[in-house]
Formats: sequence, C-alpha cells, structure tokens
Amino acid sequence: MDKRGRSRWLALMVLVLGALTLAACGDDDDDGTDTAQQGQAQQFPAGSTMAEIQDRGELIIGVKFDVPPFGFKNPQTGDVEGFDVDLGKAIADELGVEARTIEAISDNRIPFLQDGTVDLILSTMTITEERDLEIDFSEPYFIARGRVLVPKDSDIGGTEDLGAGDRVCTALGSTYAETLKEQAPEAELRLVDDYSACLELLQTDAVDAVSTDDVILTGMIIQDDSLHMVGKPFTVEPYGVGIPEGDKQMKAFVDEVLATYKEDGRWDAAYQKWVGQYTGVEQGPPTMTLQEAIELAPLE
Amino acid sequence: MSELWEVLTEHLPEFTSGFWVTVRLVAISFAIAIAVGTLIAGLRVQPIRWLRWVGGVYVEIFRNIPLLVLLVISFLGLRRAGVPISPWVAGTGSLGLYTAAYVAEALRSGVFAVGKGQIEASLSLGFTYPQTLRRIVLPQAFRTVIPALGSLVIAMIKNSAIVGVSVVALSDLLKQARIVQSQTFQADETFFWAAVGYLILTGSATLAFRYLERRFAIRR
Repeated sequence: MDKRGRSRWLALMVLVLGALTLAACGDDDDDGTDTAQQGQAQQFPAGSTMAEIQDRGELIIGVKFDVPPFGFKNPQTGDVEGFDVDLGKAIADELGVEARTIEAISDNRIPFLQDGTVDLILSTMTITEERDLEIDFSEPYFIARGRVLVPKDSDIGGTEDLGAGDRVCTALGSTYAETLKEQAPEAELRLVDDYSACLELLQTDAVDAVSTDDVILTGMIIQDDSLHMVGKPFTVEPYGVGIPEGDKQMKAFVDEVLATYKEDGRWDAAYQKWVGQYTGVEQGPPTMTLQEAIELAPLE
Repeated sequence: MSELWEVLTEHLPEFTSGFWVTVRLVAISFAIAIAVGTLIAGLRVQPIRWLRWVGGVYVEIFRNIPLLVLLVISFLGLRRAGVPISPWVAGTGSLGLYTAAYVAEALRSGVFAVGKGQIEASLSLGFTYPQTLRRIVLPQAFRTVIPALGSLVIAMIKNSAIVGVSVVALSDLLKQARIVQSQTFQADETFFWAAVGYLILTGSATLAFRYLERRFAIRR
C-alpha cells in the first residue's frame, strides 16, 4: 500500500474505532447507588437473588412509562412514578438498595424478566394461569376491572354495543386482546404497542373505543376529560408482581414485603394518592390469594 | 425441533394473513413509488428551473425524514388536523412516497445515461420536451436502472415491517408474529418464521428482477 493508501486506511480505522467507542460510552449506567444503606438492611443467604441484588446495589423493576396512575413519567420532573413504582421502591428499601425503573410494555415485560433485563415486573400485569407457566407471581397487590372508554358523545354503552364496524383498541400482549374477542366477537380489534397509542387513536377518531383495566382508563380520563367509562365491569384483573420462574426465595421475600405494605397503611396511602383521589371510589388492599387469582383466569 | 414446527402449524392462519397483508402493502406502495417517482424524475430533468426545484425539494424532504416519523405525521398528524385518513392510505402513502424519492433519484441517473444526442435529435424532429421524455428517454432510463429498482423493492419489503409496527397498526407479517409471540411466549420460533416469510418475499423479488434484467436491461 502506498503512503496515501495507508493514511486513508488509518483514517478509516480511526473512524470505526471512534464510532465503536461512542456506542460503548452510551451504555454506561450511572453508579449513583447508596451503598451506605446496605448496613441497615436485612442480610440474605448468599447465592439468593436478594443477596445478588444487594451486591449490585440496585433493584431493576420493569414498569409502564405511559400508564398513569400506575407507572408514568411525570412531565414536569421527568421521574417515573405511580402506584406500581411506589410498591417497587418499598421492595427496594427492604433490600437497602435504590430502585431503577426500565420501561416494560405489555409485549416485552415477560421476556425482560426471563432474560434478566429486569429483576421484577410491576407493570399493571394481570395474573393468569398462562402467564404463571412462564413466570411466578406474588400474591395479588391490586384488583382492577375491565371497562370500556369512549368519547362522551358516543352511543357505545358497553361491550355489548361493540359490533361489526366498531374499532376497539387495546395493547398487544394484554389479557384484553383475548377477552375482547370473546366479549365483542364482531368488533375490529386494533392492537398497538402501548396505551398512549390507544389514547391517540381514540382522540383522533381512528378507533371508537379503548378497553382495558379501569385504573388505566382513569389515567386516560385524567389526561382528557372529554372521555368517559361505560358499561359494567366485565373482567376481574388481579395484578401481581412478576418474579422469575422458580425463584421461591424471591417470591417469599416479595410476599412478605407486600403483606407488611398492606397491613401498615402504606397500601391505603398509595391507593389514595394515586387512584382514590381521582375515582372517588374506596377500595381496600386485596384479600384474594394467588391461587384464587389463577383460577379466575385458567388456560382455555 | 417439534416446537419450531408447532408454532408454525398452530398459528398458520395468523402467519399467512400477515404475509398477504404485507404483500398487499408492498404492491400498492410500489405502484405509488413508481408513479410518483417517475413524475418527480421527469420534473428534475426539465429545462425549466422552477420545475427542477420542485422535484428537488420533494426528494430532499422524503429522503431525509425517517419513515417512522413520516407515518406518525401522516396518520396522527393529519387526523388531528381534521383529515380522516385511514390506516391503509397512511401506510401505503407513506411507504410509497418515501420510496418514490429514491426511485426518482435512480431514474434521474438513468436519464443522464441516455445520450444527449438522442434528446437533441428528438427535439429537432419536432417532439416537445415532455414527449421526448415519455417516448424516448424514460423507457431507456428504466431499462438502465432495473438493478437499482430491484434494490429499492427489497428495501421496501423490509420497510413495510416499520409500517406494521407503527401506530398505523396494519396487521402485517411482523405484527401477526408479535401477536403470536405474545400468546406463546416463544420469541425465537415465532420470529424465525416471520423472517422466513420476509425471505420468501425478498427472494421472489430478487428472482423477478433478475429475470427483468436479463430480458430488458441495457448495459452502458
């Protein structure tokens, strides 16, 4: 290679290395975790997931980023917050670590748990037997009910009114994708990545209705009060924390934290802060057991 | 291995319906891309400067906006502005107009490959410039750029997956694969079959263009 050729090759190599370095730099996570707290937290058996998380210094939870009031990004502060996030932080506090949130949409949350991208799922996830085959659940931490959201001037009064030609939106991978096929077999189902897309479609009249858990619909009404919920609740959706399959120690730990959370008033406080003040509905911590929840949604 | 086959056999209706939606999406978008692309290429070579400018602006806009952004603008943006555009129109329109910019550029290089002498001769025979383009220049230009058009079609087949994934929410092959995946939790197997579906499409396109090349291409 002559001198010109060599310097061109060198320039190309520098460019490639520079690009790779930039890509690698982008992945660095901030190590801003509080190791000072670890001294006060429980000790866990070595080799258990909890001990690993403590060594790591942070608990990674998969939450929704666009579903107020359970998991959403506060537009002013940019922080992710909500009922799910508060419960996740309570679990992290028990471990003496910080909680880091990662967006987990209905479609990818179980894969994220299975491949270790997240330690727990707190993402308005309904307990079903089908999901229980893939992952483990905690005891139910919230009970939501399925309803339908339409603009205030719509004639649709519930799932019974959703017929041929009506377009209903829900999220890909949610239980409603199946349930709506049964409840409204003639309606046209529009599946999207996340509920914020459903809201956009409803507001631009690209769909006639959105159907999912009432608390998620409440979050949409908070953003747009020209919408309202109609129809009788047609499903019972017990939410559970997603835990990696087979990790009995982790499940026992999470269930313990959850039981305390329900008993000492933190559940009620979180409910009032995130849900109660908007819906005006009183609700107490769920008493349903995991087994009962699974029986509600058995495999076909 | 049996799991791999099971995913396909148990969900064949979803995969095939998605496959045909993708075919339809690509076919309509291709028609739009060729029609609009030819028009724009024609504008770009006009002797009148402002016509050339219009063509140039189109190409710059549609080459520099990512397809996903175009889909959001054309579907959500237009709907919010009051235009009741349907998902199919938004999807095929975006993919077609986007690809048209690339078709126009490919054709333009084909036009320049046609000798200037031919244009001069045609004009001196009394043909107008548009007639010259239509009857003499563009037919030859197309034949020169067949390989380039083949690449664009393959790119369009792959880009059609973006349409399905966007908020336009057409139930194309990738969308159906994601639905199957959310029910079976078997991502590897499901997306393997989706990839096979796309390979069938791009493979067919490659074969078709190879035939066209042999038959019609002018090599300069």
